[in-house]
Amino acid sequence: MALPKRGPVKPTIPLEYPKTLLPRREEIKDMITKDGTYLPKSLLHADLDRGFLDFVKEKIQFTSEGKKIPVVDILITTQNWSQFVETWDFQNIDKNLEPPFLTIIRNPDVKLNDKRRYNIPNNRMYYYMEVPTWDGNRKGANIYKIPQPIPVDIKYTVALVCNRMREVNKMNQTIMNLFASYEAYQVINGHYIPIVNESFTDESVMDLESRKYYINKYEFTLHGFLIDEEQFEVYPALNRTIQMFEVDSRPVKRPQKKQQPPELESITFTYENGLTTLERSFFYTCDLLFQNTVNVSSFSVYINNQYVGDDVDLIQINNGDELKIDIIMGSTGQVPQVIFTQKLI
Amino acid sequence: MKSNVPITRLGKFFGDRDFELEIGMGQEWLIGDMNYTCVLYRIDRNKIKTDDVYGEVVEDGIKFLPPVEFNAYITIAAPSNKMVGSTRMDQVEPGNITMSVYLKTLNDLNIDINFGDYVGYYDSENFVRYYSVVNDGRVVSDIKHTYKGYKPFYRTIIAAPVGPNEFRGL
Repeated sequence: MALPKRGPVKPTIPLEYPKTLLPRREEIKDMITKDGTYLPKSLLHADLDRGFLDFVKEKIQFTSEGKKIPVVDILITTQNWSQFVETWDFQNIDKNLEPPFLTIIRNPDVKLNDKRRYNIPNNRMYYYMEVPTWDGNRKGANIYKIPQPIPVDIKYTVALVCNRMREVNKMNQTIMNLFASYEAYQVINGHYIPIVNESFTDESVMDLESRKYYINKYEFTLHGFLIDEEQFEVYPALNRTIQMFEVDSRPVKRPQKKQQPPELESITFTYENGLTTLERSFFYTCDLLFQNTVNVSSFSVYINNQYVGDDVDLIQINNGDELKIDIIMGSTGQVPQVIFTQKLI
Repeated sequence: MKSNVPITRLGKFFGDRDFELEIGMGQEWLIGDMNYTCVLYRIDRNKIKTDDVYGEVVEDGIKFLPPVEFNAYITIAAPSNKMVGSTRMDQVEPGNITMSVYLKTLNDLNIDINFGDYVGYYDSENFVRYYSVVNDGRVVSDIKHTYKGYKPFYRTIIAAPVGPNEFRGL
């Protein structure tokens, strides 16, 4: 059983708690814009590839038999000479690569991440920061706008070619440690980029009558994004405001007011001087509810000279109707009256 | 106890003395005229340093018996230009070596060639390529390896090239 390595278990004791939540976000923002302008740094295909190469060299490359396993520092190319340039220091006399070694293949296809599906169309520019300016006379500000980063997935294959199971184990242990929490991260141009281990493939050559060696291929997906600084916009913000009012001097033509019906609570038809019939025009719509009569034995209702009925309790009046009420007087000698209550509709 | 049974087939027109004569003439041609020479590095399976779990040799852990030079009829296959798996790394893989060696030669040298032994073959004065035996040709009962059906007289041994990280003759 291996013994624990010598040395203190915890060499330093942190005196401050690590930042969390908003302070941590601000810390990451500072990291993104470090050593540059207020804007984030560009992140394009070549930056992501370089970042992944560094990731392999810093975190996956391991030591076997006291020697560092060499990493072929190319991804994919159609130029044959580049292989020699990158591998001359671990070639044999036939100029063949001598195992063990690690090689990285980038699949040429780069695809949009699914997150892009739920996005605002047209890739508009977004406010990023307001930077104060001073031109010697006036304080002002510049508005920095950037487009939304485009999320992309890039697939890489890291292949270990070796001829000892010990090296296969070591590589696997390194990968398992790195991706025990599903994702590993690489800081590329100040951006945190997650990397996921997708799968493992074994292509070991075990033919009976040929050179035997292990080829272990690990597939990785880098969840990156593209930001092109050529698309950034910087323009001056407002630094002086003038408020102006303009009044229209032309006469305002308002539409004629609609005649409002009189707010009468009741309508009384009074038959003076021996009259037995009265007419009245209505310019609104209402219901007349019979309330009372004075010295009237019965009455007949006509609307637009159309007979409606005798002694009705309810008369429905439309706008423009002519209401006529004929009465048969009673015998009390009082002035006859027919009283309705009107209800506007 | 091993019994020796005389081979009497083809006895009317062929016998042991004819067989030895033919082998002798063949060896004269192969060793005297052609003189293809290989160096056999027989693995010392008792002293080799291996991994406890996988039995793989550790760095420079291969131990071999004193090298022995022997003559054989040599055929080296053409190299193949191919990629290492699907890693897109090109390489020209050297071809296998096929050695046809007289059984009498092995008996005279008192050696045997086993699966996994290494063989060195000098391509030029200052370059030797090493091969690992992948087929030791031990079974010689087929008609091709017998002298017209009389008796086996040679072995065909196939070896695949190895890199210096596996074997360097040291």
